[in-house]
Amino acid sequence: MSDAGVVHIRDIGIRLGDELVVIVDALDMDAGDVVVLDAISGAGKSTALGLIAGALPAERMSVSSAHRLSGQSITPELPRDKFSGPDRLGFVLQTNILIPYLSISENIDLPMTIAGQRPETDWREHLVRALGLTGLTDRMPTEVSVGQRQRVTIARALLGQPDLLLLDEPVSALDPVNVGQVERLIEVLAQDAGSAVILASHQAARGAFADARRVGHRTEDQGGVLYSRFSDAYEGEMAA
Amino acid sequence: MTRLPLSLAVKELRHDWRGSLCFIAALVGVLAPMLVVLALKNGFIGTMIDRLVDDPSNRELLAVGSGAYDAQFFDMIAARDDVAFIVPATRSINTVANSLRNRPKRNLERAVPLIPTAAGDPLLGGLVVEKGQMALSETLAAELELAIGEKAEMIIGRKLDGDQQNAVSELTVTGIVPERLYSRYAMFISLPDLLAVERFRDDKLLTPETWRDGLDMQESYASFRLYARALDDLRVLESALTDAGAQVRPRAENATVLLLFRKNLDILYAAVALIAAAGFWAAMAANLRGVVERQRVSFSFLDLLGLSDRARKSIPVFQSLILVGLGICVTFIIVGLILVTINLGFANAPQQMAARLGPLDVIGTLILGVLTALTASGWAVLAIDRIGTEEVLRHA
Repeated sequence: MSDAGVVHIRDIGIRLGDELVVIVDALDMDAGDVVVLDAISGAGKSTALGLIAGALPAERMSVSSAHRLSGQSITPELPRDKFSGPDRLGFVLQTNILIPYLSISENIDLPMTIAGQRPETDWREHLVRALGLTGLTDRMPTEVSVGQRQRVTIARALLGQPDLLLLDEPVSALDPVNVGQVERLIEVLAQDAGSAVILASHQAARGAFADARRVGHRTEDQGGVLYSRFSDAYEGEMAA
Repeated sequence: MTRLPLSLAVKELRHDWRGSLCFIAALVGVLAPMLVVLALKNGFIGTMIDRLVDDPSNRELLAVGSGAYDAQFFDMIAARDDVAFIVPATRSINTVANSLRNRPKRNLERAVPLIPTAAGDPLLGGLVVEKGQMALSETLAAELELAIGEKAEMIIGRKLDGDQQNAVSELTVTGIVPERLYSRYAMFISLPDLLAVERFRDDKLLTPETWRDGLDMQESYASFRLYARALDDLRVLESALTDAGAQVRPRAENATVLLLFRKNLDILYAAVALIAAAGFWAAMAANLRGVVERQRVSFSFLDLLGLSDRARKSIPVFQSLILVGLGICVTFIIVGLILVTINLGFANAPQQMAARLGPLDVIGTLILGVLTALTASGWAVLAIDRIGTEEVLRHA
């Protein structure tokens, strides 16, 4: 794995109160890679995603600590707009959050608008059509279903064809019939966008990401402090 | 980068239009009554004050009793910035001409008060009455059917050893003092002419033929006519004259009382306005803070998407400015309609305008509104400062 890949992380972490430390020991990804953070609820999967994305202030846990996204070295001091543009990172969150006062169309375009970028028209139309959002774009978030909201967040995350797509329990609110369909859509569209994908999920053992590479997870109790560690190196140590 | 946060601010307000309307209504509810009260205060009190200011007699200080005021006293008082006009008077009460006769019209008025005048007399405007001239009160001029440029005979009588002697002086009318400034009969004459009248009555050696010859100014005078430059100067000037040995009182006590009333009313209004503004400021700050709390996850998500801190923090500031701006606009429209209605209701009243707002009131309201909007959004801005990306990541 080269340092110029999409993700290169060594030994960064964050303390959550006095009793939990979430650490990403090692993670390397190239364009098109798909990995799954497969751990029990409460293990800090969302926090690990935040750490990887540079959305949370990471602590260097050792002298060999490293955090690079798309070749860009990430530090807590670096302004987010320097590395979190829609062409770098895309987020799909568990809660399907949409800005309630923006239309579906405006929500889809929001990351690009913030970054001052224009979406590729063909790619946008492809996303909207593929995700079944045609005819819904002028509606407000309260006027679409939960499943449609989820597909809007996927369109929003992929519109900038990001280097890295981060998915945090993206199908947890969907019924089982739709789960497989949405996961397959994400997989295909991420491939179309050329994005590397990190999926944080506790139900990825089946569905479209069942065969994806797993990031290992282990926990250690050191003097009453729980260390929750994620690493490519922990093969066979997944806590499902 | 103001376009995006401004756009987000507007869209959020539009989305929550009922809440925005309630907020604007709350502002109008506080501001409109305050402006109506201010307009009424400006109108009624202002008109009364304007009338007082327009009438010089309200600025007159009357000398109480007789004194002995020399040239040094008059020079000292005339040099004061708060003195508009002073002229010596020979008596504490007006000297009286026995009669004034318009011979061609065969009109005669007896016992006409003689009032000394000089350059700068507020009752005469810019007119200067020289020796041999006179200005008449409008009522007297009408009674005698005299107009400017015409002549009339002033008759000064005295009893000498039982004989009645009359001195006659023909004076030219050079001015008419409007009735609103002086309503009674009076002749305004120069100080030398007044001194001549006094001397004829006191000096037996003078004859009706020689009474105006060789006239010298007196060393001291018993009284004076004095006008302050402004109503606000009355109290200070009265005190200064007392210190200089001259007892005086304002001709119109109600003028000073009204001034005091206006001052107290201004203080009272400012206090009420301050309390109302503080109450509104607190309500506004709490409302904006509440909006941030309701949109907490959205603000966190905007942070996750890379919207800068500055842009996020400017959203409630824009919202505050927009809401206050709209509130002030609506207020001005409503207050304007109310004032038109009030003024129509008082159309036949003697006041020119019963209620009015000046440009300064409007500008002051706008400035106060902007300041209120900016400062009241501070709490919301601080709250946004504490919202990080972790909130949306942990939001379930």
